Amino acid sequence: MSGFRHGAGRLGDAQLNFTFDGKPMLARAGDTVASALLANGVEVVGRSFKYHRPRGVTSSGPEEAGALVTIGAGGKADPNARATMEPVTQGLEVFSQNCFPSPKFDLMSVNGLAGAILPGSLFSAGFYYKTFMWPAALWYKFYEPSIRAAAGMGVPPKVADPDIYDRIQMFCDVAVVGGGSAGLSAALSASQSGLRVVIFDEHNDLGGQLLNEANSDQNADLEQWRKDTIAALEAADNVTVLARAVCWGRFDGNMLAAHQSVDGKVRQNYIKVQAKKIIIAAGAIERPLVFGNNDKPNVMLASAARRMLNHYGTATGKMLAVFTNNDSAYQTAFDYSDAGIKVSAVVDSRQYPSEALVDGCMSRGITLHTQAVVTEAKGWQAVRSIEIADLAANGQSVSNRRRVACDVLAHSGGWTPQVQMAAHGGKPPIYDKTIAAFVVGDQAPDTYSVGAAEGENGLLAGVAQALEAAKAACAELGGTAGAVTAPPQDRDGATNIVPLWSVPAKGKQLVDIQHDVTAADVVQSHSEGFVSVEHLKRYTTLGMANDQGRTSNVNALAIMAECRGVSIAEAGTTRFRAPIAPVSMGGFAGREIGKHFKPVRRTPMQEWHEKAGAVFVQAGMYMRPQYYPQAGETIDDAYERETEHVRKKVGICDVTSLGKIEIVGPDAAEFLDRVYINMFSTLKVGKARYGVMLREDGIVYDDGTTSRFAEDRFFMTTTTAKAGPVMAYLERCLEIDWPELKVRVSSVSERWGAMAVAGPDARATLTAAFPSVDFSNEAFPFMGVVHAEHNGAKLVILRISFSGEMAYEVYATSEHATDIWQTVVDAGQAYDIVPYGLETLGALRIEKGHVTGAELDGRVTLGDVHMDGMASKKKWFVGKNLKQREGMVHPDRPQLVGLKSVDPRTPISTGSILVTEANATAGADKQGWVSSMTYSPELGSFIALGFLRGGKDRIGERIYAAYPVKGKNVEVEVVSNHFVDPTNDRVKG
Amino acid sequence: MHHIYCPYCEEMREEEEYSYTGEAHIERPKDPAAISDEAWADYIFFRSNPRGIHHEMWYHAAGCRRYFNATRDTQSYKVHETYKMGEMPTITAATVAANQVAKGDAS
Ligand SMILES: [Zn+2]
Repeated sequence: MSGFRHGAGRLGDAQLNFTFDGKPMLARAGDTVASALLANGVEVVGRSFKYHRPRGVTSSGPEEAGALVTIGAGGKADPNARATMEPVTQGLEVFSQNCFPSPKFDLMSVNGLAGAILPGSLFSAGFYYKTFMWPAALWYKFYEPSIRAAAGMGVPPKVADPDIYDRIQMFCDVAVVGGGSAGLSAALSASQSGLRVVIFDEHNDLGGQLLNEANSDQNADLEQWRKDTIAALEAADNVTVLARAVCWGRFDGNMLAAHQSVDGKVRQNYIKVQAKKIIIAAGAIERPLVFGNNDKPNVMLASAARRMLNHYGTATGKMLAVFTNNDSAYQTAFDYSDAGIKVSAVVDSRQYPSEALVDGCMSRGITLHTQAVVTEAKGWQAVRSIEIADLAANGQSVSNRRRVACDVLAHSGGWTPQVQMAAHGGKPPIYDKTIAAFVVGDQAPDTYSVGAAEGENGLLAGVAQALEAAKAACAELGGTAGAVTAPPQDRDGATNIVPLWSVPAKGKQLVDIQHDVTAADVVQSHSEGFVSVEHLKRYTTLGMANDQGRTSNVNALAIMAECRGVSIAEAGTTRFRAPIAPVSMGGFAGREIGKHFKPVRRTPMQEWHEKAGAVFVQAGMYMRPQYYPQAGETIDDAYERETEHVRKKVGICDVTSLGKIEIVGPDAAEFLDRVYINMFSTLKVGKARYGVMLREDGIVYDDGTTSRFAEDRFFMTTTTAKAGPVMAYLERCLEIDWPELKVRVSSVSERWGAMAVAGPDARATLTAAFPSVDFSNEAFPFMGVVHAEHNGAKLVILRISFSGEMAYEVYATSEHATDIWQTVVDAGQAYDIVPYGLETLGALRIEKGHVTGAELDGRVTLGDVHMDGMASKKKWFVGKNLKQREGMVHPDRPQLVGLKSVDPRTPISTGSILVTEANATAGADKQGWVSSMTYSPELGSFIALGFLRGGKDRIGERIYAAYPVKGKNVEVEVVSNHFVDPTNDRVKG
Repeated sequence: MHHIYCPYCEEMREEEEYSYTGEAHIERPKDPAAISDEAWADYIFFRSNPRGIHHEMWYHAAGCRRYFNATRDTQSYKVHETYKMGEMPTITAATVAANQVAKGDAS
């Protein structure tokens, strides 16, 4: 217990109740979880990732790496939330992470001891890489489970997220990233030009570093300026103020991406803003100093300790000590002292702080230690004292160690400009020695970074930069930025920093607090040869946590630069990538979740299928009947019955999902001759032909049936899966390859409902259904095409077969398709017609040996599927040049074969590997694979299609279909892929 | 997210409506049946992949469904111009280089 309420800060009076690990706590309106936990005296908020060391609040902003909590319970649970960024709401449930059984007493913290005893073995730099190199068997059995139990962050919820997320698209002329004094000024000035302005800030309250200032009479005019500026922006019609919106990435075309938390029905908005000009006023983040046990709860950034007191009315402790290498942290000591809280020491690593600072300490009775460092934070759970020492002039050693009492240590290692957003669009940042930090080098096009984000920490100087940027941005867009009132007070921005990258000290010195990366890990990374900052990052996981290196990067690469004996500028930074802050996946998904994830396409006959009790399956975007079970039937019973029925009598199947393309024009026939391997110019009007397309590289692309309706008009069908791609391909051919061809293509897939009527009684059924059409073999032979009308419906009937039976495909105008289907079903009653689904469609075509997407998988040549003979020798066609290359016609290529279970009741799994040994092991000679399987009622056996090396000449051989994952090994006989009616008599009957 | 001008629709539309379909201005061999495998492979597989100005084809898949050309910088991703099939670009690597020289002379 060290933190407590002290003064009002800027919070409201309303009291809120929330719980932490089930314990009731009090907060005030405006509190974050971090400020409220501190005010309730909570020091240990959780445990660290690898070593399970206690962790507390370390900051007051997005850089939080210690106080990571789970917000909410059940499906609403949000793990790894930064307590500093989460506002307390009435009844909020907050949970600690990585703690068993409780944050104060954690069994896993033995990891920390093991790390000390066996340096370099457990969880040190490169741990994951080294572990992966241990024997693989041990990894699954031992290491992975134990690492998962020991290391890890919060637990993701296992139930669906009940919250709603939205996506918003915005456009603006000037986008301002950051709502501190510079951002507010730039936005207001730009808005007065009349241009559209959007301003983002990730906090609930705008004002940036102004919120660190005491809310005192002395600062009343400054506070009023902040409020007036925000009010003016909110009042302007052309300005959108987005608070609690973290801008996390900048993309091509000046697009900014942000996630905004909102209260109400929607939890978060994912906002994309297309800006013409971007002003980046993202401010700077204070960085920690690296000393012994600097991760102990109640060690926090000086600016955070100050904001907790001045903004949230929360004193972080009863006795404060300050450790710094620059001027800015002194104000924290002064504000605490002025608020009546004891300040036991200011420890400054510099030899000569300015006279003003020395006087400030003296007048308040604060003991100042110069040329001194904190070597170690001490205390069991949280800080209770610090060990300080004098620093040798060369910075390499310390002497005169002594204890100073305190219960909170505020530290500052200088300020890191938030260059990420600027760096996304431009060149790498450059090192600025005067502030010991990286600043934006070359500005990206249309971008201005200003204020602390550009290394200018002075209040008025930063605002001046912002106004210049607003003026320039507006001028380029043809507008005139307005004059705005400057803040009534100034704050000196000079920090007079003397870098101190690490302290010669004992104890763990954390660089990345969230990922438990220590200074020793950086040194180890160097000694193992991972010296580039990009390697360092990946080898140690430094900077890959929630804070994305905001507090850790500069310190780590400074230590690396020291190891390498190069300058920090030479060591450079890692590349900045979006997202720069943790963002919820829900925002990206927006409302496109569950059934809205992708559209569902239904055929005109959907309702009929539902009434008939069909079980549906998703095929691409289509919902298609899979089978129509009768009472008590399993899926196997149903498709075996349907298949048998089609072979013996007649069945009807919805094939609407096939792609349908009309190809029209004087050069239509020539066009088809080029895209198909076989001839279409010779096709007679009123006839259909099966066609195969190749890709330019000679691989089979798609197949289907194309009919000639008139000399200059063709009707192409494609497979369901390739309907879209084939259409785009044909358009491309006509636009780019052969613009001289006079041809138009149009997709008519939605224009026609389609049904296959198949079986020995198909002709009789259709004759009864459509008496005006002559279905006799003479009038309507195999591959014939007939146009008809029936009760207002236009019909196209093709006599083609996918099942191997006598069959017709009936295309009916969509709005009439269900009527036509019903007409056929009614007429078919006399022949016991049954509807059949996708399972039976598959079973029938496998029995017949027809290929489909499972076989035409983008690796198959014509020869592989025994279609080489179809290719015309009289003409050129797409794919002809490369289809005859050696590799494409090699006799050892896997070729399509039929496979029959030697024991007919043993199924052959799709995806099995074909081998010649009965009990094949991983090293077996893999000679092919199984692409499709079914039970064949006709053969009374399980059968399959597959590809077998040199399969054409291996008919009669007995081999094995091995499925090692399931421990299956099925003996199969290699047969022709035409299991049923190989002479093709039935279709012509 | 780029906004790209479709020269057929004559409007700026979102990148999501388009798809990139490869390098532009690659002449299709007039008589593919007559050329060598090497020449054909060169046509099918080999592309210039420049750093900087690149002329490429885009497909307005969720719009007019036509193919057009774009001049784009492969380093900055900036789309400098779009133009119809059969037309020639006004911005090329040569014009950009000439501009840079001109600017250099001026300063
Ligand atoms: Zn268009």
